Amino acid sequence: MLNPETRTARWATYAASVLGGAALWELAGRRANPAVAAPFSATLQRLWEMIETGELRASLGGSLALFATGFGIALFTALPFGLLLSRMRVLRVALSDYILLVNAMPMVALIPFILSIFGLEFGAKVLVVFLFCFFPILYNTIEGADSVRPELIEVARSYRSGEWAIWRDVMLPGTFPYAMTGVRQAIGRGLVGVVAAEFFLSASGIGQLLMTSGRNFDTAGLLATVLVITLLGVALMALGRALEDRFTAWRGLTR
Amino acid sequence: MRRAEPSGAAVATRPVRDASPRRSVLARLSSSTPLVKIAGGVLVLGAWEIVVRLFAPAYVARPSSVARALPQALASAGMLRAAGVTLRAVVEGLLIAVLSGTLIGLAMGRIRVVDRLLKLYVNGLYAMPMVAILPLLTIWFGYSPAARLATVVFAAFFPIAMNASDGARSVPAEYLEVALACRARWTDVWFGITLPSSLPYLLAGLRLAIGRALVGAVVAEFFISIDGLGYFILFQSRTFHHDAAFVAVLLLAGFAVGMDALIGWFTKRHLRWYRTGDSAA
Repeated sequence: MLNPETRTARWATYAASVLGGAALWELAGRRANPAVAAPFSATLQRLWEMIETGELRASLGGSLALFATGFGIALFTALPFGLLLSRMRVLRVALSDYILLVNAMPMVALIPFILSIFGLEFGAKVLVVFLFCFFPILYNTIEGADSVRPELIEVARSYRSGEWAIWRDVMLPGTFPYAMTGVRQAIGRGLVGVVAAEFFLSASGIGQLLMTSGRNFDTAGLLATVLVITLLGVALMALGRALEDRFTAWRGLTR
Repeated sequence: MRRAEPSGAAVATRPVRDASPRRSVLARLSSSTPLVKIAGGVLVLGAWEIVVRLFAPAYVARPSSVARALPQALASAGMLRAAGVTLRAVVEGLLIAVLSGTLIGLAMGRIRVVDRLLKLYVNGLYAMPMVAILPLLTIWFGYSPAARLATVVFAAFFPIAMNASDGARSVPAEYLEVALACRARWTDVWFGITLPSSLPYLLAGLRLAIGRALVGAVVAEFFISIDGLGYFILFQSRTFHHDAAFVAVLLLAGFAVGMDALIGWFTKRHLRWYRTGDSAA
């Protein structure tokens, strides 16, 4: 019996996991009706085809552009707004409950309203992604501001720190780790927003690829797209985690 | 009056905090939090009302029109039925996800091989935007309530499984050593020690799962057009009844906040022993 702690044993189990999953998929796909499922090999073949024809790159590019626009706008509005609220205690107390409420609300439910007010063009889709991303960032930034101990600000004040010094040395280091947690959540939600917008507003990008392959019973194409979007999700999530870890390293110090 | 006193005495007898009158007003204002919160609400609703009145077409929902539509919408049979259907699907899906997710999560946390075999898939599918699975689920389950249930289960399963496995791994080693020394059966180790000890993690997972399950149910109803709160919103807003549709959105938000509050209350009431604030989220 292998010692489960060694590195080879660990990689062996991971390899077994991947190979086992692929084998299971292949077997199940071969047995099933081709309209319902496709074997792993056929999925990979279809994926290669989609890469070669440029179909995948165009869709992925469209979706990523949508994601980047919505997420970027959310980041550059939610962060400053959150930081502003973090120094204006009255405003923060006044608004934080409502922000919490909106953050807890299933944002997809607003898509029909956006559809009927703003139509189904790129701008409306950006608005959907923006709404999915904005509130997690704002909410977590405010959490961070709440976690900054007032004593720290008082000490800084009693050493005659100016506003700028308080921001640089107390507020930003205190709120940033939390804001980054929000950024990670926003990345995850933003991706949901992208696909939802592409499904329910005008079809485009990855969402359109999913819809058309589903409607044409091109199961291999559908599974290939799902595979791609899963990998995209994993990559973005890893990016979010890396960002969060990079900035939470000092979180312990401010508490 | 203050000027009449010698300045040294004033400094000595007064706390520094009250030195400037501007600050004391602010402090007083922000210490009466309920008032500030109500003012904040009035501000938000007022801004919404004004913006919609000035810039948006008449059918767009605004606070006053939603308030007017509220009693009628809440009393309408259609909305109540839709809410019941959706809520039921969410609860059923959550139950399935909690049972299966807890079992698989515990197995992942307790047995290393299981963890390594499943981890890639659980983490990967958790990171996948769940909306993307909808076309596949409609092929598998048809355009039916079963597809909605499957979506809810899919949305809720992974956070629960992940948190259950984290929880199972966090069981203090001493507990397990004592259990081993007493020759406890594995069922006792699993369900007598590991499960209760990972309860806070499970609840954190459930919190995540509830939000995702609601989103899953609504998205599924949009996608497959079956009766429910999501479809109600879609239908009403398509026919420009935004006020009624918005009441449904409020109902959804109420579900989300209500279920979350229930879990928060449960944690506070029954899991006092657990340090709050650093559960897995």
